[in-house]
Amino acid sequence: MSISVGDAISSFKIPILMGVMVIFGFGIGYLINYTFFSDRSPVQPINFSHKIHVTDNNIQCMHCHAYVDKTPSAGVPSVKKCMGCHKAIATDKPEIIKLTEYWDKQEPIPWIKVHDVPDFVYFTHKRHIKAGIECQTCHGPIETMARVTRVSSLKMPWCVDCHTEKQVENGRDCVTCHK
Amino acid sequence: MAKITDKIKEYTRPGYYEKFDYHWTMSIDLDRCTGCGACVVACQAENNLPIVGEKRFKERREMKWLRIERYWEGEYPNLKLKFLPMLCQQCDQAPCETPCPVAATYHNQDGLNTQIYNRCIGTRTCAVYCPYEVRYFNWFTYTWDEPLEQQLNPDVTVREKGVMEKCTFCVQRIRMAKDKAKDDNRRRVKDGEVTPACVQSCASEAMQFGDLNDPNSKVSKMTKNKRAYHVLEELNTKPSVVYLQKVEKHD
Ligand code: HEC
Ligand code: HEC
Ligand code: HEC
Ligand code: HEC
Ligand code: HEC
Repeated sequence: MSISVGDAISSFKIPILMGVMVIFGFGIGYLINYTFFSDRSPVQPINFSHKIHVTDNNIQCMHCHAYVDKTPSAGVPSVKKCMGCHKAIATDKPEIIKLTEYWDKQEPIPWIKVHDVPDFVYFTHKRHIKAGIECQTCHGPIETMARVTRVSSLKMPWCVDCHTEKQVENGRDCVTCHK
Repeated sequence: MAKITDKIKEYTRPGYYEKFDYHWTMSIDLDRCTGCGACVVACQAENNLPIVGEKRFKERREMKWLRIERYWEGEYPNLKLKFLPMLCQQCDQAPCETPCPVAATYHNQDGLNTQIYNRCIGTRTCAVYCPYEVRYFNWFTYTWDEPLEQQLNPDVTVREKGVMEKCTFCVQRIRMAKDKAKDDNRRRVKDGEVTPACVQSCASEAMQFGDLNDPNSKVSKMTKNKRAYHVLEELNTKPSVVYLQKVEKHD
């Protein structure tokens, strides 16, 4: 005597179909969320492209992120710095008109933070840059990105793994990173 | 297994603590202390401590990493008042460190008794074990009213309900001093480069702070003073805070 699996589940056809649909739906929802709404790559108020500036026009990172080797935070350039170039460059483009509006209103651009460690963590760019670590090690190929995307997890194992590998002095002591 | 036994051997070796990178130590000269309370206020401002208010204070929920204890001696006409600033003693053999079930408090290589707030689950065991009563528990989440939140120190976490906290010897200032030393290509911080908020604010310079492993630092010299003692020395907690006895006239 044999029991056919097909016969056994045929009476549960509808519930099983519904289950599959739900799982499928979740999958699609997750993908939509991941590609369009994730905090890895938020849509910025101005469509600023690192590719145009860094790769196409050869502007150095430090020209805009001027504090990266001097202070804990890298800092995002002020509107004044943008206007230093964009008073003359590409002034008729819609994105630049938006930029000029911020400048006329004397308001900062509300950039959305992509890389963010929690407030209880002390992270310093200065030490890492002075130790000779490239921006790309942590931030990925920024110079090719039309919109900034976070590639590293920025979670604790990510920090500690590298500190272990590079044998950072006291790099695994909790109060080095936790404040 | 061999690794663990090696570790145990290392940690129980006599003089292990002398091998610390630094041994941050504070000396408090009670003869100079006037009990003015400037250190208490400085600590409150530096470390984002909340003002708990009268009601909470009466319920003994006050938050003060540094408090000035008063000791009255004698009867009315011959009354004497003595002050004792009491803060975390950063004990080398700290009773508070061993009982923590999640190891949120531990001893680091600089001789600091540290507290990792986000690791803490709030069992309050450490506070029970502390003989100096200097650990404070956040019974509530305190908020700062409108303009006051602007004065919060960004280098110190704002703690929430359910977390134990205590004096850190202003670890954020130690961190900054080390950072500066690295910029100047020095391996060690110079004496006098680190001043915790309380030490900085002490008008009569009763407090000194520095590295005990450096024999020429100000604190090292203070600890060799004849008047130097530890509070509750008999408990063998080996505190890193050294008090210098008050000089008294004996008839
Ligand atoms: C050193 C000069 C310089 C600075 C500073 C600068 N840009 Fe640009 N930007 C350029 C150049 C060059 C282009 C390319 C223009 C082109 O291709 O027509 C450009 C292109 C752009 C574009 C694309 C325009 C388009 O639609 O083709 C945007 C948007 C933009 N910049 C925004 C900004 C913002 C925002 C800032 C401030 C953070 C900034 N730029 C700072 C030089 C600069
Ligand atoms: C023309 C000025 C300019 C240059 C040059 C530039 N950036 Fe940026 N960068 C910006 C601006 C403006 C933002 C904020 C907008 C955004 O996030 O897209 C930004 C954002 C970033 C962020 C994400 C910040 C966040 O929110 O977490 C990273 C990382 C970054 N830049 C790295 C680099 C690196 C690496 C280089 C050199 C390869 C570089 N940038 C060159 C202007 C610049
Ligand atoms: C060791 C890894 C690491 C390296 C190397 C690094 N960054 Fe970052 N970066 C981070 C982390 C982590 C954050 C999030 C910091 C925060 O939230 O405070 C960040 C944030 C930023 C931001 C956002 C603004 C800010 O200051 O919070 C910018 C811009 C930035 N980095 C630019 C750079 C540039 C330019 C370089 C190279 C010169 C660089 N970073 C190198 C890890 C790194
Ligand atoms: C790609 C490797 C790498 C990653 C990822 C990394 N670090 Fe570092 N970090 C280093 C190196 C190398 C040093 C040593 C710098 C020195 O000695 O001057 C360092 C030093 C530090 C210091 C200073 C230590 C001191 O005593 O001066 C802090 C704080 C720090 N890292 C925090 C972090 C945090 C927080 C993260 C994660 C968000 C992180 N790091 C991720 C490589 C890394
Ligand atoms: C190299 C830097 C570094 C060191 C060393 C480090 N941490 Fe962390 N830790 C981080 C970062 C960055 C995060 C934030 C991760 C995130 O975004 O959730 C974190 C998060 C945590 C969290 C989770 C908090 C939460 O609410 O999600 C705990 C708990 C924690 N750390 C405990 C410790 C303890 C205990 C030690 C010492 C043994 C330690 N950490 C050492 C960088 C570090």
